[in-house]
Amino acid sequence: MSLQPSPLPEPHATDQNSIYEHQGQSMWKRTISQLIKRKTSLIGFSIILFIVVTALLAPVIATHNPTAQSITDRYLAPSSEHYLGTDELGRDIFSRIVYGTRISIQIALISVGISLVIGVILGCLAGYFGRWIDQVIMRVIDVMMAFPSILLAIALVAVLGPGLKNAMIAVGIVGIPQFARIVRSIVMSVKETEYIEAARAIGAKHGRILFQHVLPNSLAPIIVQATLGMGTAILDAAGLSFLGLGAQPPTPEWGAMLSDGRAALQTAPWVVAFPGLAIFLFVLGFNLFGDGLRDAIDPRLKE
Amino acid sequence: MKRKLSLMLVLMLIITIFVSACSKDSSTTDGSHSKGGSGDEKTLIFGRGADSIQLDPSKVTDGESIYVTNQIYDTLVRYEEESTEVRPALAEEWNVSDDGLTWTFKLREDVKFHDGNDFTAEDVVYNFERWASSSEFIYYGYMFGATDDNLKGIIENVEATDDYEVQITLSEPNAPFIYTLAMPPFGIASPKAVEEYGDDYFKNPVGTGPFIFEEWVPDDTITLVKNDDYFGEVAKIDKVIFRTIPDNGARFMELQSGTIDMMNGLNPQDIETAEADNNLEIIRRPSMNVSYLAMNTDHDGPLSEKLVRQAINHAVDKSELMTLFEGIGKEAKNPIPPSLWGYNDDIESYDYDPEKAKALLAEAGYADGFDVKLHIFSNPRDYMPQPKVTAQAIQEMLKEVNINVEIIESDWDSHLEAVENGKHDMAFLGWTGDNGDPDNFLYVLLDKDNAKKGSAGNIAFYKSDELHDLLKEAQIEMDQDKRTELYLKAQEIIHEDAPWLPIAHTTPPLAAHKKIKNYQPHPTGSEPFNLLDIEE
Repeated sequence: MSLQPSPLPEPHATDQNSIYEHQGQSMWKRTISQLIKRKTSLIGFSIILFIVVTALLAPVIATHNPTAQSITDRYLAPSSEHYLGTDELGRDIFSRIVYGTRISIQIALISVGISLVIGVILGCLAGYFGRWIDQVIMRVIDVMMAFPSILLAIALVAVLGPGLKNAMIAVGIVGIPQFARIVRSIVMSVKETEYIEAARAIGAKHGRILFQHVLPNSLAPIIVQATLGMGTAILDAAGLSFLGLGAQPPTPEWGAMLSDGRAALQTAPWVVAFPGLAIFLFVLGFNLFGDGLRDAIDPRLKE
Repeated sequence: MKRKLSLMLVLMLIITIFVSACSKDSSTTDGSHSKGGSGDEKTLIFGRGADSIQLDPSKVTDGESIYVTNQIYDTLVRYEEESTEVRPALAEEWNVSDDGLTWTFKLREDVKFHDGNDFTAEDVVYNFERWASSSEFIYYGYMFGATDDNLKGIIENVEATDDYEVQITLSEPNAPFIYTLAMPPFGIASPKAVEEYGDDYFKNPVGTGPFIFEEWVPDDTITLVKNDDYFGEVAKIDKVIFRTIPDNGARFMELQSGTIDMMNGLNPQDIETAEADNNLEIIRRPSMNVSYLAMNTDHDGPLSEKLVRQAINHAVDKSELMTLFEGIGKEAKNPIPPSLWGYNDDIESYDYDPEKAKALLAEAGYADGFDVKLHIFSNPRDYMPQPKVTAQAIQEMLKEVNINVEIIESDWDSHLEAVENGKHDMAFLGWTGDNGDPDNFLYVLLDKDNAKKGSAGNIAFYKSDELHDLLKEAQIEMDQDKRTELYLKAQEIIHEDAPWLPIAHTTPPLAAHKKIKNYQPHPTGSEPFNLLDIEE
């Protein structure tokens, strides 16, 4: 039975189950019961579930081909034929948004995956080894944090070149500092505990100590950060696409849809309203759930 | 190298954001001042989609630069308010020798540059020598056939025969010559200012025109003030502020809310809204332009094949594209607009026929199609109000014949640089006629002389000797009927070789507050604002 609350690319989670089964099970159980108690996190979870199901069943749900144009049918208001109307090229907005969920989930997973893997590694290195390694890594992280995230992402895309793939990489890199800082602080506190000392005493190597003893203890906040990071990632990616730096036409990416539709803001507001609403829902879902998860999973962060 | 450059650009962007954030205060106070104190000072705030590139008209080809320089400079002769017939300006009268080679201009004696210096025949000579000194004076090259080996082109000699008389000697007759001299790029600059500012002259323009340059905040505003000593009709308004607002919709909202008085680049779908608004008025500029998709014949690969280019012409349904122009565009089949003499109406447009397109592609050996990049500009132009939407429509149509188009969107400045250097496979561009002569379209945009990388007007890099001979002959021929014949023939050759997919000729709409009076848009795309008035 999968107790993972969201589809996270969590590379360290699975191989730890056997060793920490007892402790893990109780932690997850407690988390679930906490989560269910909170209405907001349940709502968040439902929204995420809804989006994931939509993405999986996109070909079934969509009523039209998301890229098929019919210029004579442009700017049609919502109707029974086109549930959410049509855009500037007569494409069905409903179908585009439905297919857009796939792209958004892809962006969220890949960007957060990049942030997570690199952030965790950097955080571990900095926290565990300390000294100059810590200094070097954390100063670089500080520099990255000094920039507003969207600006840094624009800069990175300018270097990498526009496109969805590069936008995901840029958004991923921009998210690294959050993970690195969280992991570093936990590693620093955990490495002073007695059981780490014990592990060291019996001659465990650095790698073993880090991945088998230290990291599992950081899992909770990492998962929380990953969930919250999905909302931010989708927002940043939509921003990049809005500026023409992300998804390229005719990809039905929500940010790009917003950007393309704004010419008709006054005459056909549905062209921008629905993609905007979709982004809003997606971000809301992950934020509500992430907040709930944080309160439930990590007693230290509570209150 | 490229990455370093991009990083530099990004850093500059960040700095500009800060700078423009700081300068915002001054511009808003300016705006409110103009509204509050309208009793004394009349300020026109003109909103447009992109900033000028340089305020030295001799070095630019883009409409946004010329919009502004038209206010600052005068040419020897000028166009009539509504047509491209010429009238006296800096030159009071002129005559041409019987062989068509020697032109004599009698200049006005009451003209002063904005820096206070008198305007004399020597200044005209100085300007002509300057334009012939380097290939960076793009229009001089386009219009007078200058090449790297012969920077002077057909203008052999320019001489001051008197303080107020200039004689220009040509190496061969040139039919459009006098019309060409009225073009904004040949505005006379103050030699003192050119010397004084050197490479920075484009930021400190000094001419003789109805408005004097005051300030330029890049990507934000350009401010001009009235020239009280203007020799012609002194401007009715005291100040003109050109404001850059890239987004069509945002610009229109500013117009509705009254923070700008007038705008170009109206989204076609906003025309109806503007017409319904009691405070606003739609003004239509007479049509003399063309928008097109150029296919780079210089790149090895499918586009160098005539059959492929014809196939692309067959694969695009222009009547559908016209829907996207919302009534302001007419399908184009020739490079020159139908409003111009010499337009070949007998040419049959490539009909929309995907099957035929596929057959042609197969014949050329591309039955399975190919991948191609289409460079487009992000801001609207008069001849193409919605480049991205139009590009997506074409992308979808070409997909039908297995041609996969990747759209590459960049801002106006970088787009021009990319296409003039031939970095594209296919590219959108357009042209607004400068002097009402077919030569200004056909020679500038399609002759092999102008297919030079770096300053290409011919961005299809289409090189046809047959066409070149015809166009050259038409330049020398002084008889208009014979010239017409030559241009009709030229259009047939171009149609057959299909270096372009001609898209549309538009009637560009401008929107203005009703208080703007006496505004007469010129077919060449811009005009001086000295006749325009504001009545509250």
